[in-house]
Amino acid sequence: MAAAESSPLTTHVLNTGDGIPGAKMALSLHRLDSQLMIWTMLNVGTTNEDGRCSVLISREAFTPGMYKLRFETGAYWESLDQTCFYPYVEVVFTISDPDQRFHLPLLMSRFSYSTYRGS
Amino acid sequence: MAGSPSPLTTHVLNTAMGVPGSNMSLSLHRQDPLTKAWNLITTGITNDDGRCPGLITTQLFTSGVYKLHFETAQYWASRGEASFYPYVEIVFTINEPGQKYHIPLLLSRFSYSTYRGS
Repeated sequence: MAAAESSPLTTHVLNTGDGIPGAKMALSLHRLDSQLMIWTMLNVGTTNEDGRCSVLISREAFTPGMYKLRFETGAYWESLDQTCFYPYVEVVFTISDPDQRFHLPLLMSRFSYSTYRGS
Repeated sequence: MAGSPSPLTTHVLNTAMGVPGSNMSLSLHRQDPLTKAWNLITTGITNDDGRCPGLITTQLFTSGVYKLHFETAQYWASRGEASFYPYVEIVFTINEPGQKYHIPLLLSRFSYSTYRGS
């Protein structure tokens, strides 16, 4: 079984409003079919207690293309009995060199979020 | 005739270069609550200050789910650079359309952030 460390794409959700990991947040990974121009869902997952979801895609499946990570932020804040300005967050990104590793965190509060390509 | 300012505004900032994100194409959409389809409300291009006045009128600004779509890769390409994000979409819920909503986009080639501002 491949170790999580070898996953080419990882994420980390941080609840910056409360200063804690964004645990138990549902998320999904999609790839754009460039011929049909439709999104195909590749994987669904839920962040762990540390806000991470390490095995999103295998090396073999990680081909060049356009992907999106969708985070169910509305449902997350609802589970904390709070509202959120963003019903969900979708981060759309282009992978040209799938041999690299891509770490895409989401730092979010009820009224803000940021993301970046990390390591 | 000058109309009242848009209740929804945005401001694009190129944080990598410390300049406004000018001449960026963007569009505003509202989600149909029944079909979940997105309806285009307006398209625009940010001005020299990275702003785009006149996104929507007070009359049209009803409660609902909206999205702002920013053509980020096109913006960076016009500067001869590649971008990690082909576009950025910010989806947000408006429950009190009587308020004002300022939704900036702070952007570099490999990062972006947004918040509800004033």
